[in-house]
Amino acid sequence: MATAADQNPNDAEHREAAAGANAAAEEYEEEDEEEEEVELDGPAAVAAEREKVQAVFKRLSSDPVGIRVHDVIIKGNAKTKEELIEAEVAELLRAAPTVQDLLRNASIASARLRQLDVFDSVNITLDAGPPELPGTTNVVVEVVEAANPITGSAGVYSKPEARSWSLEGSVKLKNLFGYGDIWDASGAYSWDQTSEVGIGVSLPRFKSISTPLMARASLSSQDWLKFSSYKERLLGLSFGLISTMQHDLSYNLTWRTLTDPSQVSSKSIRRQLGHNLLSALKYTYKIDQRNSHLRPTKGYAFLSTSQVGGLWDSKGLRFFRQEFDVRGAVPLGFYNSALNVGLGVGAILPLGRGFMNLSSSVPDRFYLGGHSSPVCSLSGLSSLLGFRTRGIGPTEPRRLVPSESEDGSAASPGRDYLGGDLAVSAFADLSFDLPLKIFRDAGIHGHAFLTAGNLAKLSEGEYKKFSLSEFGRTFRSSAGVGIILPTKLFRVEVNYCYILKQAEHDSGRTGIQFSFSSPL
Amino acid sequence: SKESSPLPAMASAAAAAAAEWEEAERKVLVARKAAFGLPTACPTCLPVLLYLRMCNVPFDIHVDSSFPDADHIPYVEFGECVAFNNEKGGVIEYLKEEKIVDLNSKHPSVSYSDVLSTKAMVMTWLSDALQYELWLASDGSIPHDIYFSDLSWPIGKILYWKKTREVKQQLGITKLNAAEKEEEIYQKANAAYDALSTRLGDQIFLFDNSPTDVDALFLGHALFVLNVLPDTSVLRSCLQKYDNLVNFTKHLKVQLLEADSDSSATGLGSTDPSSSSTPRKRASSGRSYKPKPRAKKERTEEEKKFRRKAKYFLATQLVAVLLFLSLMGGADSSELDDEDGVDYED
Repeated sequence: MATAADQNPNDAEHREAAAGANAAAEEYEEEDEEEEEVELDGPAAVAAEREKVQAVFKRLSSDPVGIRVHDVIIKGNAKTKEELIEAEVAELLRAAPTVQDLLRNASIASARLRQLDVFDSVNITLDAGPPELPGTTNVVVEVVEAANPITGSAGVYSKPEARSWSLEGSVKLKNLFGYGDIWDASGAYSWDQTSEVGIGVSLPRFKSISTPLMARASLSSQDWLKFSSYKERLLGLSFGLISTMQHDLSYNLTWRTLTDPSQVSSKSIRRQLGHNLLSALKYTYKIDQRNSHLRPTKGYAFLSTSQVGGLWDSKGLRFFRQEFDVRGAVPLGFYNSALNVGLGVGAILPLGRGFMNLSSSVPDRFYLGGHSSPVCSLSGLSSLLGFRTRGIGPTEPRRLVPSESEDGSAASPGRDYLGGDLAVSAFADLSFDLPLKIFRDAGIHGHAFLTAGNLAKLSEGEYKKFSLSEFGRTFRSSAGVGIILPTKLFRVEVNYCYILKQAEHDSGRTGIQFSFSSPL
Repeated sequence: SKESSPLPAMASAAAAAAAEWEEAERKVLVARKAAFGLPTACPTCLPVLLYLRMCNVPFDIHVDSSFPDADHIPYVEFGECVAFNNEKGGVIEYLKEEKIVDLNSKHPSVSYSDVLSTKAMVMTWLSDALQYELWLASDGSIPHDIYFSDLSWPIGKILYWKKTREVKQQLGITKLNAAEKEEEIYQKANAAYDALSTRLGDQIFLFDNSPTDVDALFLGHALFVLNVLPDTSVLRSCLQKYDNLVNFTKHLKVQLLEADSDSSATGLGSTDPSSSSTPRKRASSGRSYKPKPRAKKERTEEEKKFRRKAKYFLATQLVAVLLFLSLMGGADSSELDDEDGVDYED
């Protein structure tokens, strides 16, 4: 989800930069022609030449003038393969039948080359064709390759519950082999839970394949000892197969190891410790027509994620996982207020012989809880205001260590949250401006919310005990009000949450809670 | 901190563990998979299973096939308690220390030092020889069948390579001293077999006529060597030279593994009527030490309250700073907008 959110702002920035560059180029061309006019001699000749030029311009702008591209000449590519640039722009330029079309296609081609992110500047000029062929033109594409192929970035981000901060850094090597390839190495360290090291490469275009190809190797570890008594280590390869605006298809091959260094895990978690090979195909379909990522007041969003595991052999994890997320925002007309509603549903089904009695994998199950904003993120299944991360759902007692239990006053060993095979969550959020103008100018606004969610276990034969009425009756819910402070670093929410309904072992708590999330 | 607690607390802990053991409807031994005609082919899990059988403990077996490199397997679950293999010296030592089941407690006449030295020999020389045979001397098909057959092949191969390297480091084997180390390992194993053969003589068990944990340990080793290792195994040839050890193994295998699956029907009862009685539980004397944990808990509660207050204070300060920065930041951004307008006019 973060990756998709990251890409959208970058695309917008690229488009804006391209538009600005085009405007500058046009101004530059006009200045050149004016200088030429000034240099002419004689007042009569000047007048005659001016009339001719004006006539030509009038004709070009009003009437379609046929033209044919004789050749596309590429200059300045010391390292980049010529066929890469040609594949991006040649066909587009040759297809233009008139001068107007050629100019428009030239600007599109320029934008495409900039989008590769490996050139400092791109200039496309029209030159005269060979003298023996009237009505033809040579298009000169002149590129300036990036002088420094290395770029780096670093940032500090915060995660839900205000206890987990992560330091992230990445280094990119651009156009290393001349195919417009971008290599990046990145690392992320989180004080509490997650650390990751990854190396990836992306090719914008390889020979005749028009969609970008991506490959990434990563080593990451996630610490769930506090919630579920296990630690997860992942060594994986991921390949992006199809990546367009709305469709994303990727393949993952991951070696996943679950361990319990504390040795207090419950029985179900103990049975899941060990090594597994996850070979999964994942397809994501996404539409986000809301008018803002930070504070949507109009529009809708839809997300569907399907994942099939077990493509390597029958010994790996085999499951089918489906997740839906629907959002809507309706403006209400007063105080810039809007009503945001959302519904998320997810289910995971183990595959194989006797699948209804098999156990689903703990890391792939659904978990609810956490203080991240359900409005902004488009994966609302993981958020339930007022409850701790993974704070609801099926639980199991942890291992009992007798030396502690003999004392009557000692605390119980605690419980592990096991997650659910079926998850449903919903929210309604009413956001409004605050009365003071200084708050409105800074974007600080208030909101009132209502959230609900539930998890159910269906695997290992539990579906027989599942009843829809009981599932509906045991929905956890919370309500509250809060203030939202969007800053440049992160988005701060101060919420007062009131728990309306929770089960025996849930980790819900009424009171003031803070949440910090990335402004993605 | 648990280790430093006074002895009466440990006594009360032992009583609690024993109570949990009695209350548990069914004990579960989590071990590796069965193969080669043995209920578990893992040389670490087999002695624990045999020990439970010798104690006439009814239990279920759960097979764990996804964690071949776990050092906590085998473990025994009873109620919400677990006896792990990597805690308190192993499952057998855990059960003995917690006064749950202790075969050795029925032998007041047996010399403790004899039992201990024999056990040390089995757990060092014979264990090293078996590890060498299993991981380094064979071609890898036996470890694959025992540990890695249910894992995807890349994971299995990586883990096998990793384990092989670990065993080399553990036994101190390098390219330079491989031949000498091999000779030394087999020499010690042969000496151990000779000593055990002398100790056993014509008896049914190693010490008198009742089983001890050393019997379980050695029986596990011998069953593995005779049933799992190939005919070309040097260790197997060494063991087969001692007829009484081989007969000991076959005899007990019939009694413990080939009898009715419900282990309560084992023939051990007929040879030793006193083995069916459970050890008497010691009276709990932890009452006088209860005030101390209560005081600790109170302090913990105070600490929790203080931490919560500190957390709220820090969060409030952070929000105040962010609020201030946001307001000032808003003013700055408006100025920048004006500058942009000026540029646009130019």
